[in-house]
Formats: sequence, structure tokens, C-alpha cells
Amino acid sequence: MKTSKNLQLTIVGIAAAIGILLILWKPSVLIYGLQGAGLYAAVALPMALILGIVGIINLAHGEFMMLGAYLAYWFSTQFGIDPLLAMIPVLISMGIVGVITYKTTIHRVLGAPELNQLILTFGIAMVLSQVVNLIATSQPRKLSLDYVTASAKVGELSFGTYDFIFVAAAVLFLAGLLFFLRRTKLGKAAVAVGQNPKGARLVGINVDRTYLIIFSIALGLLGIIGTLFLTSHSIFPLVGGSYTMKSFCLVAMAGIGQLKPILWGSLALGVSESFIMSFQGYGGWADIVFFAIIVIVIISRAYKRTES
Amino acid sequence: MSKYIKTIVMAAVAVLAVAFPFYTGAYPQSIAQSVLTYMILAVSWDMLLRTGQISFGIAGFFGIGSYAAVLSMLYLNLPPMLTILIGGIIAGAIAGLLGIAVLRLRGMYFAIVTLAVAEIFRIIMTNLKGFTGGPEGELLPQLIFQGNPYLTYYLMFGMAVLTIIISEIFLRSRVHYALTAIRNDEIVARSSGVNIFKYLVIIFIVTSVIQGMTGGINAQTYGFVTPESSFSLDYTLLPLAMALLGGIYGTMGPVVGALLLGIVSEYLKLYIPYGHLVIYGIIVVIVILYMPQGIVGLAARIRKAGARNE
Repeated sequence: MKTSKNLQLTIVGIAAAIGILLILWKPSVLIYGLQGAGLYAAVALPMALILGIVGIINLAHGEFMMLGAYLAYWFSTQFGIDPLLAMIPVLISMGIVGVITYKTTIHRVLGAPELNQLILTFGIAMVLSQVVNLIATSQPRKLSLDYVTASAKVGELSFGTYDFIFVAAAVLFLAGLLFFLRRTKLGKAAVAVGQNPKGARLVGINVDRTYLIIFSIALGLLGIIGTLFLTSHSIFPLVGGSYTMKSFCLVAMAGIGQLKPILWGSLALGVSESFIMSFQGYGGWADIVFFAIIVIVIISRAYKRTES
Repeated sequence: MSKYIKTIVMAAVAVLAVAFPFYTGAYPQSIAQSVLTYMILAVSWDMLLRTGQISFGIAGFFGIGSYAAVLSMLYLNLPPMLTILIGGIIAGAIAGLLGIAVLRLRGMYFAIVTLAVAEIFRIIMTNLKGFTGGPEGELLPQLIFQGNPYLTYYLMFGMAVLTIIISEIFLRSRVHYALTAIRNDEIVARSSGVNIFKYLVIIFIVTSVIQGMTGGINAQTYGFVTPESSFSLDYTLLPLAMALLGGIYGTMGPVVGALLLGIVSEYLKLYIPYGHLVIYGIIVVIVILYMPQGIVGLAARIRKAGARNE
């Protein structure tokens, strides 16, 4: 117990030292890293929710976010509304998509081997990205919004402030989910189902309905993130794929069923990614940070398991 | 009796496949070549699946093999056949390292790592501009066998036969029974003393060598590599859909699936050039939901039902 506390203190100390060094040397790395971290955490939280409670790993996770972004694009260009306002219809539509997806597919493989679940969600990911590709073509789309270019100046340094919206979203998501899971009746029931579905059924919880609700909530959250994503990034049908892997990486780092550590994990990833991007001409390598970390995290997990 | 018929049918198919290039034109032959490519990938994917581990990294090892073959020819001036072997060896070495690291864990961790493999190497090949040609890739000065289509066809055909034989050997081995036991109930198998980890790593290496060599043959046949085409999602999704549709956990299923979908896919490419992959996605979803035993499994069930009625 004591050693783990010491270890935690050491890690926090090292992180703080790195942070201070970065502030002195390259403050922009920290700012953009924080903004990137917000996005990653916000996308990863719904995946952690589904994995923790429904118990399946959703390989179509990033694709659902992509779908949300395209829905937001459609609502805002079709009806001429601001994408941030389009968030409400997107949230509702993604909730409905969640209900349909759960009822027609996920529900049927809950008792099936893990392999079938993985193949199924991989197939769903392909269907989503290719259907969007067929309808909207692979041409990247971007909205030009004037408030996105808002920037602030601190001393010599000027930076975009809009992307802090992802940090706000991540914190709000986490706070909202923790409140939901700890304080509300439905949330407590969901936690019970996540821990022990048989037991939950015995005490009278409708397990299937809980799964349905949690899955739809997670997709609704992805709709919100998709909308925010659209406001400051360009979107294309394959944009979601890497977010599936990045989210999984964060969820695996945090441990299944854990929500809070996702924030710290994404902070580390966001900052290290923006650190590499800050070197001119090497920006293309930034993506590899994540994949390297995925492999390292998983290997360290394997190592831990052999030890115990 | 039924065994007799089976042998005749198989012999007929083999003769047909060998004679194929002599009575068709260039276009059917190129289709046949791509069907064979996907067939190899589908069978090798299924070989690993039988162990209870799922790989989404077919395109990754295929691409690694392609690049290894082309680069070793460009920089080391090795003969083409040797570069194909090198493609397989490098893919196998990477698989070995990954497998030792990750195969101890639950399936989903392995699945995600294999999903990342294609991405990692695609990024490396895109960014190592001086060495790999960056996003434009590299061209070979000349094709294997001076581009003789008969010989390239037989090369891929030979690879397919080899893969099918390896797959059948694995199916008949004692390891296979142990692995089936693992797939059905890992705890039972583990407590019965089967050392699963070693076999998992070996099979992962063997299937990756096959996928790497196939990539090498493909790159040598068409004479180029680019990050987008060599690590294309097609090489993961198509074999997966083929094996599932045909029926997993055997050699026959992926072979039948590859023949069927491989021919259909050529027409799909003509009619829906962008987004034909959606069909494969739908096939994957529907097969998993409604007929997880695939066509071969379904046919066996119908035959059994018929025998019972007689």
C-alpha cells in the first residue's frame, strides 16, 4: 500500500517536473497538448462506459463519432443552423441510432464468444464508414466558423482558445457520468449490471433494458463529441478509425471500468503528441506515439499478468 | 463413397486451376490471381482464428511483406524469389515479437494490437521518405519473370496450395485439438496442462510469414508499393468477409468464400468503384448474426438433415 503511494507521488512529481520544463521551454506544446487531451478523453469516456457496463469492446466507436459529425454537418448545412445548435438533434438522432444498433446487432451477440463480438463491431465500423463514403463521398468537409478562430495572447505567445471546448466537454462528461453512475437509481443499477449481470437480474434489474440505455447514452455522447469535432476539424469517412484505437488505448491504460484515470492518460498522450508535432517536418510521426503507447501499455499489462 | 466423390471433385478443381491460364485471356487471369491472393489471406486468417485469437492486421503483414520485398530488391539487388522470402521472414519476425508480448492476454488486446500494426507501418513507410519513397512509394525497375503472366499465376497458385496444405496439417495436428479445446474453454484446457502460449506464437508467426510472402509476391507481380495500396483496408476486410461467408474453423470455408466473393468483387468494383467495401461490411455483420457457421457449415447441416430424412 505504502509503496504504491510512493510510486504515485513519484509519478506525479515527474509529471509536474516535465510540465514545468515544458512551460519554460515550449509553452505552446502544453496548451495544444491539453486541448488534444480534452478531445481524446471525451471520445474515450463513452467507450469506457460501454466496455464497463455492457461488456463489449466497440470497434465501431470512432465511426459512430464520425457519423455524429456528418449528421451535425447535414443538420447545419440543410437548415442553416449553427453546428453547436445542431448538437441537440444530433444527440437525439445518435440516441436513436444507438437503440437501433443495439436492438438489431449488439443484443444478439452479448452471449456469443468474444471473437464474434469483435468481428461484429468491426463489420459495423466498415458499414458505417463505407455508407458515409457512398453518400457523402470521401471529399473532406469543413465548416468555416468565425468563433473557432478565437485566440488569446499571453506575453509573446498567442494561441487558439476555441479548442479548450474539448477540455470542458471531457470534464463535463466525466462529472456527468460519475454523477449518473453514483447518484441516480438508473446509474447505480447500471453499475450493478456491469459488475454482475446475473446478480443484477436476480434483484430485479432489467438487464437488457439497462444495456440498451447505456449503449444509447454512449452513442448520444459520441454525437455531442462528433458535433464539437466538426466545428474545428475537417471530417471524412475514415476520420473515426484512429479514434477507436486511441480510445481503446486510453481505456486499457485506465483499466476496464475506470473513468477518472482516462483524464490523466489522455493528458500524457495529448502532450507527448503535441511535443512531437512541435518539431518542424516531423509532424507526420506524431500519430505513431499513440500506437507505440498502445503496444507498450498492452505489453506492460501482459507482464503484470504473468507476475501475479 | 462420399470420400471418393470428394477426391474426384478436388482433383478436377486442381486440374482446372492449373490449366486455367491456357484457355482464358489476360483479364480472367488477373481476376484469378487476385482471387488466389485473397484466398491465401483468408485461409491464413482462419488458421489463427481457430486458436481463439483474432487478427485485424492482415493488411499490416501483407504490406510489410510487400515493402520488404521491393526495398530489399532495390537496395540489395537480391533476386526476386529471395526478396519474397525476405518479405515473409520480416513479417514473421515482427509477428514473433508482437506475439510473445501480447498473446498472453485476452483476445481483445491482441485484436487491437493487430489493428494498430497496419497503421504503425503505414505511418513509418509514409514518413521515411528517403528510404521508402514516402507517400508515392517505390517502383521496381522490372517485374518478376519479366512480367510473364503464366509464371506469376503459378507462383501465386503454388503459394495458395502451400497455404492450404499447411492449414490441413494444422487441422490434423494434435496441437489443433488442444487449440480447439482452448477456444471452447480456455480454463479447462489450461488446467489439463496444454502449453497454449507457445503454439499461439508459432501459429501467429506462420500465418504472418504466409501473409508477408503473399504481399511480396503481389508487389513483385505488379512492381510497385505505396503506403495506401500496400496497407489497403481491402486486404484485411475482404479475407475476413470471405472466410466468414464460406465458414470459419476449416480450410474449405475460406477457399469457397474466396472463390465466391473474389469473383463477385470484381463486378462490384466495376459497378460501385467507391464504397464497394460496404457489401463486405454487411456480409460480415449478417454472417456473424445469422449464420456463424457460413456456407460450408450450412451445406453440411443440410446434408445431414437430408441423410436423416432418407
